[in-house]
Amino acid sequence: MLQRIADFWAAYASTLSYGMVNAFFALATYATLSAGILSFAAVTFGAAGGFLGAQLVLHSGLPMVAIFVLSGCAGLAMALVIAVVFLRLSSHWMALASLALVLITRVFVLNAPVLTGGVNGLSIPQRLPMGWLAVALGIVVIGFYTLHHSWYGIAARAVREDPSVAACMGIDARRIQFIAFGVSGIVGGLGGIMLALYLQFVSPDTFFIGVAFTMIAGTVLGGSHHWFGPVLGAAVFTALPTIMQAIVPDIQDIANGVALLLIMIFLPRGLIDPRAIRLRRVAR
Amino acid sequence: MDLFFSQLLNGCSLGALYALFGIGFGLVFATMGILNAAQGCYASWGAIVALYAAEELHLPFPLTVLAGIAGGAAIAIVVDQLGFQPLRNRGVGMLGALITSIAFWIIFDSLAGFATGQQSLSFPFGTFPAGMFTAGEVLLPIMQLLTIGGLIVVTVGMHGLSAHTRFGAAMRAVGWDPVAAALGGVNSHYVVIVTAGLSGAISGLAGVLGGITTSNVSFMLGQGLMLKGFAAVVVGGYTDVRGTAIAGLALGILEVFCGQYISTSLRDGFTYALLLAFLLLRPQGLFGAKSFVRA
Repeated sequence: MLQRIADFWAAYASTLSYGMVNAFFALATYATLSAGILSFAAVTFGAAGGFLGAQLVLHSGLPMVAIFVLSGCAGLAMALVIAVVFLRLSSHWMALASLALVLITRVFVLNAPVLTGGVNGLSIPQRLPMGWLAVALGIVVIGFYTLHHSWYGIAARAVREDPSVAACMGIDARRIQFIAFGVSGIVGGLGGIMLALYLQFVSPDTFFIGVAFTMIAGTVLGGSHHWFGPVLGAAVFTALPTIMQAIVPDIQDIANGVALLLIMIFLPRGLIDPRAIRLRRVAR
Repeated sequence: MDLFFSQLLNGCSLGALYALFGIGFGLVFATMGILNAAQGCYASWGAIVALYAAEELHLPFPLTVLAGIAGGAAIAIVVDQLGFQPLRNRGVGMLGALITSIAFWIIFDSLAGFATGQQSLSFPFGTFPAGMFTAGEVLLPIMQLLTIGGLIVVTVGMHGLSAHTRFGAAMRAVGWDPVAAALGGVNSHYVVIVTAGLSGAISGLAGVLGGITTSNVSFMLGQGLMLKGFAAVVVGGYTDVRGTAIAGLALGILEVFCGQYISTSLRDGFTYALLLAFLLLRPQGLFGAKSFVRA
């Protein structure tokens, strides 16, 4: 039995790590989504954190914690610049603009080889111990828990439900959304360095459409109305291909898509839905 | 000078593909508010269906194109009814539709991989007009002229439909607010199905023409069109097909001339730099007017 558990662990530890890395990105998406903004810009924040972090790991010799902090700051700086530009756009345009930003990021990364290694990318000799990853994710989750129950969290939910009503109650929607971008930047930057250390390699294709769709799918799948949703959603979305490969290896992509489709159709508000939980509690 | 003209034509026909695809993508976004990740599959499958019609059924060229258009439309309606309609019925916003469209993207790309045997196919010689049209000293490939012609027909047709017909008004009304449109006597279910079909048909046409002119029929076809078509939508504005058409052409020409005269490696850089500039300076697109905000 113990042997079985050890085998299982050996086979799936990597998937678990990857799920946790994706949880950072899903939480970064959730940060803006919970203030009513659909944005893929967390990929760009991740690129900022990832490439800066990778360079620091390679050339600076700073302790890991310092690198994590600096990567988060890089994401934050990127996010604040982008927020200034994006918050002038209306919500439909912001979604399109952020997707365009993802495409532009890749071109920029390709054409700045001094900073990013260009086409060849950067290899990182260091491995990321899973304990570190779990601790970092834990700290971020505690941060989200605190925010959820703070004045900011309540204001953000109000802005998301109805910006006009929120404005009538004296909430400055732009300020809330600016803060949301900042939070998204920190978490996205952290996700970037985590992804870089997990893959031990960063290239222009690391931070591209794939990550964008993974993080948005993770967030919506898990439930975009509660901070635990993105964590669970990212885990499910990461594990799904592995599970499908074990069950139906020939048509794993199709099975993967069908599973995603069924979850969304039957649970359109995601796996974790605070409203449904509250309703159930009241019904009892 | 010959090189200049032939490159200009190359740019226009490439741009016409981007614009056609962009028009299909923008139609769904403007009318239903869905960022449709599966749109690329409509183009890939349009091309695959057309290839099947040409190779196995030996249909003449116009019918081949029609088969591709019908294929794109059919898949678009399936995706809409299976993936988007259940969410509309529950009234949960269209964020979930992005995820179901990603699911269909995964499914149809994978199926396209099976259909083409995981490789890139091309239309056999003789199934499409491969000749040249001579105007003075300049040789103009007929397929490129047809592509540009296709864009003109679709743009004029869609603009006419949207601006001058009752159905177009209904489409715009549903795009603004489906409930209000229904109260105003619009059958929004019918409008949504026809819009999905139209969008799939236009993307399917882009797929067939793209499959022939680039000799690449695979799931990669749709993905390539998707990225550039998306850029055309952002530059041109999703609310007006004329903007998308002009932006698509401009992107195609820019891409070809950059490759010819400046540097091939910076080709995509110029496209996306233009995209960024438009987002900053004119976020509502070429023809977009600043609309008032609804409460």
